[in-house]
Amino acid sequence: MKKWLKIILILFAIGIIAAGLVYKFYINKAHPDYEKLPADFKMKAEVIYNEYVKDKKASDSIYNGKVVEISGNVAKIESVDTLVVVTFVFKQGDFGDEGIRCTMLPKYNEETKKIATGTEVKIKGFCSGYNDTDVILEKGSLVKE
Amino acid sequence: MKNLIKLAFILLMISNSAFAQKYITKNGHISFFSDAPSEKIEAKNNQVSTALDITTGDLVFKVLIKSFEFKNALMQEHFNENYLESNKFPNATYKGKITNPKEIDFTKNGKYKANVEGEMTIHGVTKKENHAGVFEVKDGKIIASSKFFIALKDYNIEKPKMVLNNIADKIEITVEVSLEKIK
Repeated sequence: MKKWLKIILILFAIGIIAAGLVYKFYINKAHPDYEKLPADFKMKAEVIYNEYVKDKKASDSIYNGKVVEISGNVAKIESVDTLVVVTFVFKQGDFGDEGIRCTMLPKYNEETKKIATGTEVKIKGFCSGYNDTDVILEKGSLVKE
Repeated sequence: MKNLIKLAFILLMISNSAFAQKYITKNGHISFFSDAPSEKIEAKNNQVSTALDITTGDLVFKVLIKSFEFKNALMQEHFNENYLESNKFPNATYKGKITNPKEIDFTKNGKYKANVEGEMTIHGVTKKENHAGVFEVKDGKIIASSKFFIALKDYNIEKPKMVLNNIADKIEITVEVSLEKIK
C-alpha cells in the first residue's frame, strides 16, 4: 500500500474514533450520578432554610446547583405520582407547610416511605433553589454512616 | 359583651372559611416542547408550586428553572447556562386571576373552561400573559391544565446562530397541576 494512502486511512480512522468519543462523552454524555457525587456542603436543614429566607440571592450564589447534605427531623414523607418527597417544615405560610422538600432518587423510594415522622435523617441532594416557600433538593439519597 | 363575643366568633368563622378556600400543590407539572426543523426538544419540571384561591380567583405558579429535566444532559446544561441563565435568573413565576369566575363552580364535580390573565416572569423579564385553560373539579381536588405558546424573544432569550434551526421561536408550554385544599 502506498504511504500516502496509509496516512489518509489512519487519519480517517482517528477522525471516526474522535467523532465517536465526542458523541459519547460530550454530545450524549450521561447526567451526573448525584448519589455518588460528594456533597459540596454539609449542614443542618434549618441552617440552609434560614439562610435562604434571610437572603435568597446570596444563598443562591452559594447553594444553587450544588450538592448539599442536610440533617434534620423529617416532618412528612409525601408520595406524589411516582415521586417520593421528604419534607422538613419550619414555617406555616400561604402555601401551607414551608421548609425544605427533597425529591428522592427512585431507587430510594421504598426505603424512604418507611421513615417515620420525626426521625432524624441525613439526605444528600441537588439544590435547585428557593421558590419563596421551600428550598428544593432533588435526586436525593439517604446518607448512611 | 355578649354581642362582642358574637362578633368575634363571626369574624373568626369568616376568616377560617376564607383560609379554607385555598388549594395548593408543590409538585405540579410543567413541560415545554420545542419543535424546530432540525430537532425536537422536551423538558419536564415536577416541582412546581401552585396556589389557587377559589374565593378571589387568584392563581400563582412558582417555578425553579434548574428543576427542568432533559433527556440529554448537554441540552440541560446549555438550557441553564446559555439560554435561561439559571444562575442569574433562578426563578420563574406566574401571577394571574381567573376572569370568568362565575362560569366555574369549584364546589361541584365537572370540567370548566377558564380564562386567566396575569403576568409571567421568566429570565428576569415580566410580560402580560392571558391564557385559556380547564379546571376539573373532582372529589375535592382541582386539576388545572393549560397549553399555550410563549415566544423566546419576548423574554430576551437569544438563540445562538449555530442552533437557529435546532430551537423553535415559540415554545409550547403544557401545565397540569393537581390542587388540594390547604390543611
